[in-house]
Amino acid sequence: MSAPPGFAPTRLIDPFEIHVGPIFEQGEKGSKRFGLRVDKRHVNMNGVIHGGMLMTFADAAMGQAAWDACDHADCVTLNMQSQFLAPAREGDWIEVAPLLTRRMRSLMFLRGDFTVDGAAIYSVSSVWKILGVD
Amino acid sequence: MGVNIAVQRKTAYPVARMSEVPKGLPETAENISRGGFNQHAGPIWRLPAEGEVRRFALVVAEKHMNSAGSVHGGLLMTFADIAMSQTARAVSGAPMCSTVSLTCDFVGPGKLGDILEAKVRVTRQTRTMVFLSADIVAGARMVAVATGLWKIT
Repeated sequence: MSAPPGFAPTRLIDPFEIHVGPIFEQGEKGSKRFGLRVDKRHVNMNGVIHGGMLMTFADAAMGQAAWDACDHADCVTLNMQSQFLAPAREGDWIEVAPLLTRRMRSLMFLRGDFTVDGAAIYSVSSVWKILGVD
Repeated sequence: MGVNIAVQRKTAYPVARMSEVPKGLPETAENISRGGFNQHAGPIWRLPAEGEVRRFALVVAEKHMNSAGSVHGGLLMTFADIAMSQTARAVSGAPMCSTVSLTCDFVGPGKLGDILEAKVRVTRQTRTMVFLSADIVAGARMVAVATGLWKIT
């Protein structure tokens, strides 16, 4: 199963993201939405998406938004907080619109609410460091 | 002919390979990645506990990396989640535990070939919840620190 109309594959360069991807995106730099179609590689034995896959999708989507927010400078995740609100299952389409809460000289704060059919299933807040800036 | 070669290759491939303990891990290490995302992201190994500390290991392969040559944050959180979920199940005796929340600090980079070890401690256990923490280290190097909350289901 593929992405809904309007979504195109995100260009992934991290081997782990390529290994678990694809992920998809829609919209312009600064207001992009990202999506993941849950497939059988992503789920537990009970057919529910693995928390690790959600956190990896979050790291990838927040990372893309962070990278856009710092004009494609090198940046790394310092911290990520995840709340698992409800299960998502194989075949579900998960979507998030990352929100830049604040950008400082060397730090960025991003959060995201992940939904399936409009219902919140997972939420993250994260802190990112722009490398080479004090 | 082509089909025969494929069949021969398939049979000749050492099936037990995935469960062979990698170099650097104790012989008693047990592969706990039996399917699904756990296996896709793994394998993850259970090591003998050290007192109150439950230990798990992951040998960093190419697929676990980011483009900067470090271990991907998503993989570190996956490793932390699996190690702490296993511990939540073990200490509660419940067949299932669900991750409610997980926080991870990325302290330093993990590198290709590292043997990452998750050292898991139980902070508190109640009738319905387990509070856990995990230090992820590569030898003497601290890579990540995670804490989380599990619901016993």
